[in-house]
Amino acid sequence: MFFPISGVFIHPLILAGIGFIVGILGGFFGVGGGFIAGPLMIWAGVPINFVVGTDLAHMTGKSIVAARRHRALGNVDLRLALFMVIGTIPGIELGAQLLEHLKVLGNIEHVVGYSYVAILTAIGLFTGRESLRALRTKRTDQLEAKGVSDVKELSVTARLLRLPPLVRLPVSGVREVSIWAVILVGMLTGFLAGFLGVGGGFLRLPLLVYVLGIPTHVAVGTDLFEIIISAGYGTVSHALKGNVDIMIALTMHTGAAIGAQIGAVGTRYFSGPTIRLMFSILPLIAAIMVLLRIGV
Amino acid sequence: MDEANKRFPAGDPSLQPLIRSLLAELLIYTPLVILYFLFILRIAERYLADLYYQAPLPYAAGSLLAIVGQGVLLDWLTSWLLRRFGLRK
Repeated sequence: MFFPISGVFIHPLILAGIGFIVGILGGFFGVGGGFIAGPLMIWAGVPINFVVGTDLAHMTGKSIVAARRHRALGNVDLRLALFMVIGTIPGIELGAQLLEHLKVLGNIEHVVGYSYVAILTAIGLFTGRESLRALRTKRTDQLEAKGVSDVKELSVTARLLRLPPLVRLPVSGVREVSIWAVILVGMLTGFLAGFLGVGGGFLRLPLLVYVLGIPTHVAVGTDLFEIIISAGYGTVSHALKGNVDIMIALTMHTGAAIGAQIGAVGTRYFSGPTIRLMFSILPLIAAIMVLLRIGV
Repeated sequence: MDEANKRFPAGDPSLQPLIRSLLAELLIYTPLVILYFLFILRIAERYLADLYYQAPLPYAAGSLLAIVGQGVLLDWLTSWLLRRFGLRK
């Protein structure tokens, strides 16, 4: 089938299949899946300049489906998501500005690439270690800070940031937390989204769980809601630059919609530590893909 | 913590009914999406391509509306299928 906006011939079932795979990942782990979708879209023949913007568009639609499913399961903390947005949008702009600045300096690919690899590897190893420990001690969903020594400091530090105003997050079971900690999480993930062109879920999920102490299932659902906003903002931004083929995004989304439902339903059958353990593999895979891409 | 444990049990080992229901859902969903693609998206494609080349701002707004609208529509469809096959009460 010919897509006139990007000017390529791609079989729609291939695009729907990519969307299906990424949708399952998104519904189950609460990630946008951009680090998987991007390489798959390039393999399918989508021009590189359309990959990031088109994937953000597809991610927006897919996250709506997954977030609504998680909302029905009681896994979306709207207050938390809306507070994070306050930091996410400026973070995205800061990341994009740094990217433009690096473009002027030159050698952007290796700077961005190695930064990405370092962050992904750290997240994957940390999450894997923590979840293995949690599984061994037979703890289930909400992370008990006292059971994981290095996480204790993170969680307690975040809680000790009692800079007013303090907010309650009843859906997440958090009695009080500084709003600045929440906004900082949003800003950090937004910065990475703008800098690396991803949804940021692979970082947001561990930050929500380990820094703010949010239960894993709620972190997954809330993360998806946040992705709607950040990916939607990115969609408009890239569309204005001519980098979105909405027909490709809509085609991918037909597969993603059902994949996201399957992924979201699947979270009911696994405990929090198990989800986190499986999640820990994704950043490591993404790090390898980035290393291969920058030619190491 | 106890409340969290109650809401999120350690796991359900019986995945076979889940897999059967999901396969049935896919069998119904796939032809519906193909029909939607052939009769709706192919028509919308012409208008969206014209907007892309002639009016970037309406195209950006239209893209967001299209993906959000399809998100809501497909969520309704997949939710109905989930209820139909007993995966959602």
